[in-house]
Amino acid sequence: MSEGCPTVGRVLPETLDSALSDEAVLVTYRRMFAALARDSGAVIDDPALVDIAETLFAAFAEAGEEWLTHEQMRHACRAHPVELFENRLRVLRGLGAIREVFPKPNQLRYRASFTSVVGLMFIRRMMDDGGQSEMHRLLELEDLTVAGPRTTMEQARRSADMLARAFRLWALELVTLTTGTIEELREQAPKLWGTEEIARRAQSLHTTILTRWPDLDRVCTDLRSAIYAYSDASRRAAGRLADSAGTTRNLTLLPAETWRTFAQTASRERLADVLEGFVFDAAAPWHDPGAIVRAVDEAPRPAPVRPAPPRSSLPDEGASSSLAAGPPGRFAEVAEALLGERDAVALEEVLTGDWSTIRRVLADLASADLHPEAPYRLAWSDTLTADPAGRPSWLSHGRLERTDG
Amino acid sequence: MGELHAEARSSGLVPLAGTVPPGFVRVGGVGVPVWPDGASPSLLEEYQIAGAPVERAGETRRVLACCLRMCWADLDAEPWPGVVAAVDDVLACYRTMVGRTDDSVRSWAVGALRRLHDTGWIVLVGDGTLRLGPRCVLWTADGHAQLRELMRRIAAPAGETTPVVASRDEGAEEFGDLLGAFDERRRAELVAAFVAVETAAEPVHEARFAALRDPALRRALMEMLARRGRVLLQRADSWISGYTDAYRATSLPEAERAVLALVLVHTVAIPRAEGLLGEDTWLSPHPVATEELRRRTLLPIGELEAALRALRQAGLIAQQKTSEEGAGGYVPGPQFHRLTRAARARLQEELILAAGPQTPLAVAIRDRRRRHEPAGTEETERARG
Repeated sequence: MSEGCPTVGRVLPETLDSALSDEAVLVTYRRMFAALARDSGAVIDDPALVDIAETLFAAFAEAGEEWLTHEQMRHACRAHPVELFENRLRVLRGLGAIREVFPKPNQLRYRASFTSVVGLMFIRRMMDDGGQSEMHRLLELEDLTVAGPRTTMEQARRSADMLARAFRLWALELVTLTTGTIEELREQAPKLWGTEEIARRAQSLHTTILTRWPDLDRVCTDLRSAIYAYSDASRRAAGRLADSAGTTRNLTLLPAETWRTFAQTASRERLADVLEGFVFDAAAPWHDPGAIVRAVDEAPRPAPVRPAPPRSSLPDEGASSSLAAGPPGRFAEVAEALLGERDAVALEEVLTGDWSTIRRVLADLASADLHPEAPYRLAWSDTLTADPAGRPSWLSHGRLERTDG
Repeated sequence: MGELHAEARSSGLVPLAGTVPPGFVRVGGVGVPVWPDGASPSLLEEYQIAGAPVERAGETRRVLACCLRMCWADLDAEPWPGVVAAVDDVLACYRTMVGRTDDSVRSWAVGALRRLHDTGWIVLVGDGTLRLGPRCVLWTADGHAQLRELMRRIAAPAGETTPVVASRDEGAEEFGDLLGAFDERRRAELVAAFVAVETAAEPVHEARFAALRDPALRRALMEMLARRGRVLLQRADSWISGYTDAYRATSLPEAERAVLALVLVHTVAIPRAEGLLGEDTWLSPHPVATEELRRRTLLPIGELEAALRALRQAGLIAQQKTSEEGAGGYVPGPQFHRLTRAARARLQEELILAAGPQTPLAVAIRDRRRRHEPAGTEETERARG
């Protein structure tokens, strides 16, 4: 029924995962309405189509007795492409899920069918747990019904027959899964297998029927064996999963909601029991001597006062006295030694020896000349003697003179 | 013997009377496991491997330095046993060190003293005095030199000194027969790998340790671990040690077990059920906020907070800071690296049995346990896992 559905024109899903989950959703839709479908193409092939219906029903609920116009419906579904919306609306109207408020020509306002909304709620629940909770409710209802004083034996027989068939089909599906791949089993089994609660309810229903109508003995035997087969298939599926669990993977087999409820409602004893028999290390931190030294060195210090810039420890009398000092140092001695008693001396006489000596003497004399306080001057003439073989190889003529100071 | 070592590891220190078993040193009536060949976890630093996390490490170590300053009277001798010191003197020393005198400094320091006491580094005596704890004997001679240098730099109030009188007895050499078969170099490699897998926070990569790479050395290493009730666990190319599955004990108090189970449900079970966890491990990148724990549980808040603190100190849970990717909170701590495969599988089963006792899965688990242990009691069944 589900194979061969037209998929042409569908937007390609972005990932393989989303394709898979879309496909899972569709499988449920197809299965649910297979009994009613006219042909295999009649069931929707895109989960988004159900979203449109849901959006529409929500809009109708909000609109109340104002109902909705075509434009308002379109506005509510503005997130979906217009062709999809129109297509959906046509189908929903065709099946009577959305109808004109009054059956008159040119009717502009529409209302939604209560039955369809309930149907959709049912579909969503089936999606969540594959029908487990529906089975719970069904069993409860059947239990009440067969206990009712007006129920006939024929009704009870039909009820038992139906349940036996449902359990058999459920069991078969589980058995097929159990022999398939472990991934598929992990994914599908929790939706299919019965909790002990379901088995217990079914047993109780069976007992009620058998006690009231002992003649239904054969039907009840059927029902009983179907329940056992189902319980057995559930156990086998769970057993295979338990054996291949890894060390955390099976946690996924309980719904997140179950875990949350457990965390919120479990007593201290129940929580603590989980780790009964597990041994862990006591706190035994190692304080390495190196780490202790580092910790002390990195101790937070009180915020330091902003340090003043460093100062010389020698007394400082200020800038004014520095120029008052007499001609300092070495170049005065050099100049005096060269001048002797004279007031002036030609540089040719004093610049003798090798170049490094000449250079040193000249530097001292230049310093003496530049020092404003010193009583020495270098007076240069405009002439220059070049002597390529001599040393220095060129000489500008000048004199060192003593001034009056 | 292995059991005694496992017990010392899971409960902190063990009381010892009579002959000191191999691999222990008895310090004033308490047994402290020692490392072979005078090694210490300091060698983790040489290999740049993180050791078990220390709660408020800087502060705790500074306070320990102050305790040492007050208790180590004769710097020429070893620090232990030292002298009795007044808690107030230690606090005064600490205040001088950090240059602050406010109340919060005092309460932090008192908290650090309690943690040091709980982990055997100091012994707080009821009368307002303290002395050095048994773990201080584990520092090596090199360490003493470093600490001696440090002591000279710390200013301290002068106090009366009452020497501590306590005896120290070394047990027999533990791994002599095993290590004797190897030359100096291999022997050092074995000891280094032994200390590393026993003390590192996470599995250590075999590239760093010859004794983990070389099958023959690894065999000797496994034998060393087995004598201490431990097994070597492999995670891809990395190794760490854990308790052998044969050693069963319940090491945590009830409140801590309850809170740890709660953290596991929130950080592993729920993300796993929602398909958010990829790897098959009990470590999780999905923290649970303290607020969430506080609001959605039947446990009293005071009890919850105290248990969280204790679990954090033991490295059973780790605090994750708020980051750009998400809110902060608690995740399972580095100790979950040390669970054997059987222990991890058992933990999964116990959680399923507790949260969904009526589910087919729980029935299957109970069935299987019964099958594996047909005539067994619940206790022996648990022992098999």
